[in-house]
Amino acid sequence: MLSATNLSKRYNDVIALDALNLTVQPGEVFCLLGANGAGKTTTINLFLNFIEPSSGTATINGIDVTKEPLETKKYVAYIPETVMLYRNLTGLENLEYFAALAGRPDYTRAQLLEFMKRVGLPDGAADRRVGTYSKGMRQKVGIAIALAKGAKALLLDEPTSGLDPKASNEFSALLKQLSADGVAILMATHDLFRAKESGTRVGIMKHGKLVAVHGTAEFTHADLERLYLEHMHD
Amino acid sequence: MISRIARKEFTEMLRDGRFRLLAGMVLVISILALAAGWKNYAELSRQHAAAQQETRDQWLKQDKKNPHSAAHYGVYAFKPKSQLAMVDTGVDPYMGVAVWLEAHKQNEFKFRPAQDRTAVQRFGELTGAEVLQVLLPLFIVLMTFAAFAGEREQGTLRQLLSIGVSRRSLALGKALGVAMALGLILIPSTVLAIVALALSSENGLVSGDPARGVLLGLIYLLYFAVMIALSLAVSARARSSRLALVALLSFWFANSLVASRAASDIAGWLFPTPSAVEFQKAMEADLNNEAEMRERLDRRRAELLRQYNVDTIEALPIAFSGISMQEGEEHGNEVFDRHYGRLFDRYEQQNRVYQLGGVLAPLLSVRALSMGLAGTDFDQHRHFATAAESYRRDIQRVMNGDIAANQKRGQVYLADHTLWEQVPDFEYTAPSTTWVLTNHTISLSILVFWGVAASFFMLRSAVAAKVD
Repeated sequence: MLSATNLSKRYNDVIALDALNLTVQPGEVFCLLGANGAGKTTTINLFLNFIEPSSGTATINGIDVTKEPLETKKYVAYIPETVMLYRNLTGLENLEYFAALAGRPDYTRAQLLEFMKRVGLPDGAADRRVGTYSKGMRQKVGIAIALAKGAKALLLDEPTSGLDPKASNEFSALLKQLSADGVAILMATHDLFRAKESGTRVGIMKHGKLVAVHGTAEFTHADLERLYLEHMHD
Repeated sequence: MISRIARKEFTEMLRDGRFRLLAGMVLVISILALAAGWKNYAELSRQHAAAQQETRDQWLKQDKKNPHSAAHYGVYAFKPKSQLAMVDTGVDPYMGVAVWLEAHKQNEFKFRPAQDRTAVQRFGELTGAEVLQVLLPLFIVLMTFAAFAGEREQGTLRQLLSIGVSRRSLALGKALGVAMALGLILIPSTVLAIVALALSSENGLVSGDPARGVLLGLIYLLYFAVMIALSLAVSARARSSRLALVALLSFWFANSLVASRAASDIAGWLFPTPSAVEFQKAMEADLNNEAEMRERLDRRRAELLRQYNVDTIEALPIAFSGISMQEGEEHGNEVFDRHYGRLFDRYEQQNRVYQLGGVLAPLLSVRALSMGLAGTDFDQHRHFATAAESYRRDIQRVMNGDIAANQKRGQVYLADHTLWEQVPDFEYTAPSTTWVLTNHTISLSILVFWGVAASFFMLRSAVAAKVD
């Protein structure tokens, strides 16, 4: 569903991403680990076509993101560290607006409320302005948007950093549901525990290179941490 | 898609207390300006109609007197106010709206309210045109400067673009949203203005060409579209909303406060006009050219003697005093045509420079078109002045012709109301809308060019806008 082939990004002399080859299948949760500046966010920005690759290609559902930027975005949903919403609109209005822009203007209020319920937003929150929402609630609206959009792939950029353990746990549970429904998920994260919990594979990035890829089933959490730290040593 | 975006932008604005306060203030100011303009229009047009009637009555009710005395007695001519002048008073306060038509002289216009005001008062006058030309563009700038830059700063632009919305639709939707907000001010104001006119006007709701009002509205809508497109383009390109605001306020300041003054100064420098004193002096020198007068009179005398086949003017069957006075008029008319013609041509050259300035500051084009359609631009002032002057000359011709025909040697000749009635009432027909538009093709083309250029600039900028 998500595929990068020799995907590279250079800024003048700095290599942000160096010949990344990566495929995320439907139902897979691929976690990108690595220090700040390792190229995780660059990878996600390239898939979103927010930046132009220097060479190589990124495809979503087999379509090159630079050639059909609007078409490829139909299949993905993006959840950043904090999902940014319009604070003067209610949660439901935000959901309705983003769903409409994603080509689904036809949802009824009941259907939209159902999405809000599925992601675990508390009753009554849907009609409150987003300005009053906690970060965890915003992340849930982000997932609701992905559900409403019917996204087949998710691009997550440290979606759980700063969430309290309960919210973080709820978020992971939602990801598991989505992956069970066949959504391909690419998540950049610092959270080794979450990566082990909800990931099916992990990839370790360093200086723009994907240096190791492992299935999470092979490891215990302690193994993963050891592996990660080994790679971080120069 | 575009209308969905517009609706969301509009909803967000309505929920913003700052917007409500701002829009409320602008609406109140607009209504105040309209009310002041309407009061001014209603009062002046009533006064003019009354004065025009009075001057006619006075003319007709003159006692028996020599026609030349009547010619000196004179009449006033008042430039009729178009209804749209309540929105844009144009050059009227500066050029005047009434002229006294008397023997021997083409007078300057009188009643120029601007003369009696200080520079500060002139600046502070609140007309509908000022609101439309200066205040509403400022409102547009304040509504749009953050449209893209602010969303980028808040991170919602990322979210929005990740959804897969086209950037062009986004720009058009935002433009439409601002237009809807503008409608909150424009629609009530326009309805109020039309109702006020309908209730006050004796000539019915629309006196004159209704197309003028519609065109005036379209010109302003085009101008607002230009401002919205420019603001959105700048917001999309600026690195921060703060920078966008600074850039847009600078443009607004230059466009609405500096450009007009600078264009006038440049026009005056390129095509200088004489001071009032110089002008009068030069004209009087030509008027008092005795040699030319004598030559002209000699020629006319010889012509008449030949025509009637007599030797002396005493032997003529007509009174030569009437002929000589008319010759004096004709001499004066040539001088007036030359001097006023030159002065007015200068003004028109200055106007053309001013209009061309619209290439840099679109407001200059809008100002010219607005005055033109409101019937208060310089061209229409000149059109009226020419008509009034031609009426004055008619009066002189009738009076002097009557003297020539009826005055008997050695008698005191007195004419009565039958002569006064031979002079028709002054009827002035304002030029057609087509005539006005023909005079303003430069401004119109420049404004249309701005509309097209600004739209392209907006769409291109939206496509080029950085995500973060």
